[in-house]
This record gives sequence, structure tokens and C-alpha cells, in this order.
Amino acid sequence: MSPVYTDQPSPTTKAPPPVRRIDDKRGTFGMALFITTEAALFLVLFFAYYYTDKRSAQWRGEMPPRLHYALPMLAVLLSSSGVLYWGEQQLKKRRYGAARLALIGTILLGILFLVLTVLDDMEELKHLTPQTDSYGSIYYTITTLHASHVTFGLLMLIWVLVMPRWQPAVYTPHRPYQNVAMYWHFVDTVWIFIVALLFVAPNIYNALQ
Amino acid sequence: MSTAAQQRLTELWETPKTLRGWLSTVDHKQLGKRYIATAIVFLIIGGVEALIMRIQLARPSQNILGPETYDQIFTMHGMTMIFWYASPILSGFSIYLVPLMIGARDLAFPRFNAFTYYAFLFSGVLLYVSPFLGQSPHGGWFAYTPFTGPAYSPGWGMDFYNTALVLLTIATSGGAINLIVSILRLRAPGMAISKMPLFLYSTLTAQFVTIFSLPSLTVANLFLELERRWNFHFFDVAHGGSPLLWQNLFWFFGHPWVYIVFLPATGMISMMIPVFSRRPIVGYAYVAISTILTGLVGFGVWVHHMFAVGMGHLTMSFFSAASMTISIFTIIQVFAWVATIWKGRPVLTTAMYFALGFIALIVVGGLSGVVTAMIPVDWQMTDTYFVVSHLHYVLVGANMIPVFAGLYYWWPKMTGRMLSETLGKTSFWVIFIGFNLAFFPMHILGVLGMPRRIYTYTAGLGWDSINMLITVGAFILAIGILLTLVNLYWSLKHGALAGKNPWNADSLEWSTDSPPKPYGSIHIPTVITRHPLWDSYEEEEDPRGERVLDQDRLTLSSTWLDAEPTAVARMPEDTIIPLLLAFGFFVIFGAITFQLMWLVVGALVYSLIIASIWFWPKPQEGELEGELE
Repeated sequence: MSPVYTDQPSPTTKAPPPVRRIDDKRGTFGMALFITTEAALFLVLFFAYYYTDKRSAQWRGEMPPRLHYALPMLAVLLSSSGVLYWGEQQLKKRRYGAARLALIGTILLGILFLVLTVLDDMEELKHLTPQTDSYGSIYYTITTLHASHVTFGLLMLIWVLVMPRWQPAVYTPHRPYQNVAMYWHFVDTVWIFIVALLFVAPNIYNALQ
Repeated sequence: MSTAAQQRLTELWETPKTLRGWLSTVDHKQLGKRYIATAIVFLIIGGVEALIMRIQLARPSQNILGPETYDQIFTMHGMTMIFWYASPILSGFSIYLVPLMIGARDLAFPRFNAFTYYAFLFSGVLLYVSPFLGQSPHGGWFAYTPFTGPAYSPGWGMDFYNTALVLLTIATSGGAINLIVSILRLRAPGMAISKMPLFLYSTLTAQFVTIFSLPSLTVANLFLELERRWNFHFFDVAHGGSPLLWQNLFWFFGHPWVYIVFLPATGMISMMIPVFSRRPIVGYAYVAISTILTGLVGFGVWVHHMFAVGMGHLTMSFFSAASMTISIFTIIQVFAWVATIWKGRPVLTTAMYFALGFIALIVVGGLSGVVTAMIPVDWQMTDTYFVVSHLHYVLVGANMIPVFAGLYYWWPKMTGRMLSETLGKTSFWVIFIGFNLAFFPMHILGVLGMPRRIYTYTAGLGWDSINMLITVGAFILAIGILLTLVNLYWSLKHGALAGKNPWNADSLEWSTDSPPKPYGSIHIPTVITRHPLWDSYEEEEDPRGERVLDQDRLTLSSTWLDAEPTAVARMPEDTIIPLLLAFGFFVIFGAITFQLMWLVVGALVYSLIIASIWFWPKPQEGELEGELE
């Protein structure tokens, strides 16, 4: 039972040089994959929205969704992403104070977004409940799932804010900050799609009718 | 030097043999074995359910089971086998083997690995709470609406279906992320992507398929649960919903799932056949590429489960063509295996018996698959025993049989003991004969028009003797499986000692002791060919001890394409936190089953607290940098 495989390696092959760096990118990679599977989740939700739209005799009644909360909410989230991005830049320059400030700003804007969500829903619930019809069900499922993702992102941001930084690990806050920021940018991107598909597109469609 | 290093590594990596150590281990070898053991328990449970059904169907007009009980049993059989056996057992093999194959000391996220195991275990426990309430899921494993909606399925059964599956989804997606990062970042220096063992290709593809397809199941379960208990309307036509939405969501997940439970098994076969043919595999690149393409095209065939619902011709033609295309990629692999055997010098071990049996069965299952991809035939065969036969040829033939091959092949590595070849070969023949006796006649039964999922039938339809034959076959199959289980148990005490490499195999896991030390190998290996143990290069050659890495729990991380070493990865210690977090998730989903919302909120808060303890940085975390520089 001896193998017939006799490929001789080239004699010049050397052992690789020793490495001296600590690997801190696995978490980033894991977060990217987590975001990928979350993105697939929202894609499926959008599919469900359009699929039901095509098949349903009664869809969204007469009234297109109102924009006077959705668009300001978009502005809030986009600016929060901007602030956080600025924070990441500061972090790379090792200006930790500024990075923390950006983090606090992002958290406040995130909270503002959630407050606006509640106000929007309180107004919307007067005409449309999740139990009204299939449109109501999908509309509230998508927006509420997104809001719960915002909440989860906020909790992670707060966690990075209160996390201790041990010496001599000057880089300790670096990676968690960036990983959580990546998630936050993702949540914002989802809201862009929600505003475009669930809020703006129906208004354009109705205007064209 | 070597013994001192060995001692330090053992101190760093060994899990104490106490109850606390057992519950808090993050060692991929222990968790992998637990995955396999748990999945085998589910295989036995699902098998017993199958036998109960076969007793009921052995003769016409029997009344051993009522219709409702029968519905629950076939649903639990399907769910147990497809969700809690077929995929987790492959995860078990992957989790055990991947770090050893790539020369790493653990997976990329060891604690997360423990968490996903316990979440998987708890999801199975949650599902098996339901029979004790007499209210198991009863809508078949694909649970079509509107039957599973609130109007026709009151009771808790379908709620268990939703919550147990979502918890399993979390576990499976988490495991997938862990394996992807491990394979792409922790490979031994030199193991470029063109030198990876084929098992890693199939595992990697299956994990990518997992993270893209499982969200669809999550959404389907979420919708159904909201519709059932909170009066939402997704599938209810009267309120503008569509029952077909369920079918699309389910099968967009469901068909890729077939490849999730199939691809890693083909990877196992691609490892074994070259070893037992004593030569490298024929067409390595073609096998690797067709593995990836199977995963990719697998996303474009889901509608072939729904040909009978009434769709446009173009849609159906497209999905019919895609379904036939995908068989090409499997055929490429089959030809590569056959050519390898043909050009090699085959050694007929039990593992090789199972591998050959697999090739035979996958060809039959593949052919009946091509048959059902033809729309007119599919219309005739939908929901008959022909489909039951096809799916069992594919799932048993292409999952259980390769898994048994894998057990015979890797069991010596996991336990250090060889299995009995005599008992193994006997077991193979009993399984092979029993399997074909049980499932081949189902093709005929389907053509004769016997619908699936009926709890009994009247005499004189021409189905009587075939059904009796199937029941006999099922029991023979069960005896065959039992023989292997006896073999596994027997070997633990009486099996011959295996040594490092009993099969003279080529991949890195065989360079470690059997069973491997907690840290794997003393020096992180370097690789220069596709068959590290068949070339003359010494993988652990490391005169200056640069790859011992015994300063702390460490392993090397490398670039994803060329596997150039880039950094040292620090691995976490054993901890009980993952178990505590998985328990929190168990309570969340258990509470959702019964709509105990205050309990959901409580368990959510508990889980968040546990999670923040998990990720809280430890004071010593920065020290190593100074030490290394």
C-alpha cells in the first residue's frame, strides 16, 4: 500500500519567515459575512413585498405611503453614517477623543431615528395596521425588522463606547469600533433601499397614474 | 525542546476532564465529535419514526396509527432527518476536520463554535418537546400554507416548527460563517487555494450557500408565525396574501439546502477515493469548479419543486433547463471518481465499499432527478412515491452512505481505534441491499399512482405486495445501520490501534496523532504540494521553533489566496459563556412558541448581558504584542 505519487518538491522551498503581528481581522471578516446573510434576509423581504404586490387584488389601498417621516429619517441615518465615518478616520489617526465624540453623535442620531420611527408608526397605525391586509403585514414587518436592526446596532455602538481600553493595547478599540461601524453603515444602506422601494417608488407610481 | 514545547502546548490547550471543563470546552475536536454524536441520535430517532410508518403501511387498511398521528410522524421524520441529522452531521465532520486539514489549532471563532453547537442541540430539544404535548408539526417538512395557517392547524405543532427551525437557522448560519473564515484565513502557510483538499472546496461552497439561502427560511418562518398568532396576512388570499409566497420562500431555501447536505459529502468521497485508489484524483480543478458551480446553479432551480402549481411556460422551461444543467456538474465529479479508480490501484476497504455504493446510488438518484425535471413527467409524478424514492436515493445515497464512508475513514483518527472491517463490510451489504429493497420499489409504486403521505390504502390497488416488500427492506436497512453502530461502540474498547496514518493518506489531518493532541501538531505545518503526506517535504520541519507558537493559545493566519502567513491569531480560552448564551436563545424561542412575551423580553435582556460579557476585552489582551516584538 505505498502511494504511487512521487512529485518531488523543488529544493529551493524555504520555511516562511516568522510573523510578528497579531491577527485582528477575523472579527471583521466574520462581521462582513454576518452582514451578507442579513442582506440576503432583506432581499428576501423585498422579494416578498413585490411578489405579493403582483399577486394581490388589494394592495396599499388608494393612499401611497407618506414621506414626511421617511425622508427626514433617511437624512438622520445618512448623517449618522457620515459622522461615524469621520470617527473612523479619526481613529486611524489615533485621535481617540474625536472618535469617541463621533460615536456619541452617532448614538444620539440613532436614538432620534428610533423616536421618529415610533412617531411615524403612531400616525400610520390610524389608517393601516399589520392586521389590515397583506400590504400592512409586509410593510410593518419590514420597517419593524429594520428598526430592530437599528436597535441592535445602537446597542453595539454603546458597547464600544463603554468598552475599556487596556494598556499597552493601543489598538484595542480600533477593530471593534470599525466592525460595529460596518454594521451601522449596513443598517443605513438598508434604510435607503426601504425608502426607495417602499416609500418613494409607490409615490412616483401613483403620480404617473 | 520538543517535549518542553509539547508540555507547554498541552497546558495551554487541554480541557480539564471535569464537568465544568466538559461544558465549557471550545475545542473543535470535542465539539465536532459532539455534533456527530448528536446527529447520530437524531438519525436513530428519525429512523425509528420511519420504521413506525413502514409498519403502518406494510399491509392495507391497518389502523396502528390514526391519520393525525401518522401526519405528525412523517413530518417529524422529515424534519429530523433533513434538518437535524443530514446537515449537522456534515457540520460535525467539517468542524472536526477543517482545522486539522488546514494545520490550524482551532476554528477562527472557537467560542462561537461552542455557541452554535449548543444552539443546534437546543433547537432539536425544542422540536422534541412537541411530541410530549401530543402536538408535533404535521404539515410535512415543507409545511405548505394554507394548511399550516391558523385556520387548519390550530394547536402548537406548527409553532414548534417555526421556532425550532429559526433557532436552527441561527446555529447553522453561525457555523457557516465560522467555517468560511477558518478556511479562508487560517490555512497553513503554502496551502494556496489551488492546493486545498477538495473537502475544503465542498465545505466552503456549502457554507456560502448556507448564508445566502437560510434567510429565506427565516423569513418564511417569521411570516407564518406572525400569521398564525398575531393575525398578520401573508398567505391568506382573503386579505390579499398568496399561499404561493410560502412555496417560493421555502423552496428558494429548500433546494440550495439539498446541496448543503450533499456537497460536503461529495467532498468526503473526493478525499477517500484517491487515497484508496493510491493516486491523486483525476481532474482536481474540474471537480473543484463543478463543486462551486453546483452551489451557484443550485440557487436557480427552486421552482422545479412547484411545477404542478400552474405557471407560465417560459418560467417552467427555464427552471427545467436549469435543473437538468445542474446534473452535469455532478456527472463531472462522478466521472472524475470513476477515472481515479480506473487509473489507480484500488484497495477495497469498508470506506471504499461505501464510497462505491454512494456512486451507484447517486447515479440512480440523479437519473430519477432528471426524470422529474421533465415537466410532463413531473406533473404525473408529483406527490407520489416516485418523488419519495428519488429524494431518498439522493438524501440517503448522497448523504448517509458517504457519511458512513466518512465514519469508517475518519473514526480511527477521532478515536485512535480501527473499526472491524468484517463487521463493516457485512454492514455495508446489509445497508445496500436493504436500502435498494426499500426504496427502489417506490419508483414503481409511484408510477402505479400511490400518493405520498397517505396513512393507509385499501387492498386490491396493486400496491399491497410492494408495500410489504418496502417494509421488509426498511427493516433490513435498519439492521445494517445498527451493525455499524455496534461496530463503532465495539471499536472504542477492542479496535486495533490506528497509529497516525492507517490508510497512508495524503492530507494533513493524518500527520497528527490518533486521536489528535488538543493542540493538533507541535509545529504549525507548511505545505508545498496538494498531497502533503505523499511528497518528500517535511511539513513540520522547523529547526528554530518559529512555528511552535507556545507563548499563548495561538495559531497562524494567512492570506486567503496564496496562504502567505500574515499574522498570529490569538485563540480564546475555554468558557461556559457560549452555553449560557445558547440557553438564552433556547428560552427566547421556547417562549415565542407559546407567545409568553414577558419571558421573551426577559431572555432577550439576559442574552444581551451574556453577550456583552462574552465580548468584554480582557486586560492581558495587548501583552503579546510586546512579547512577540
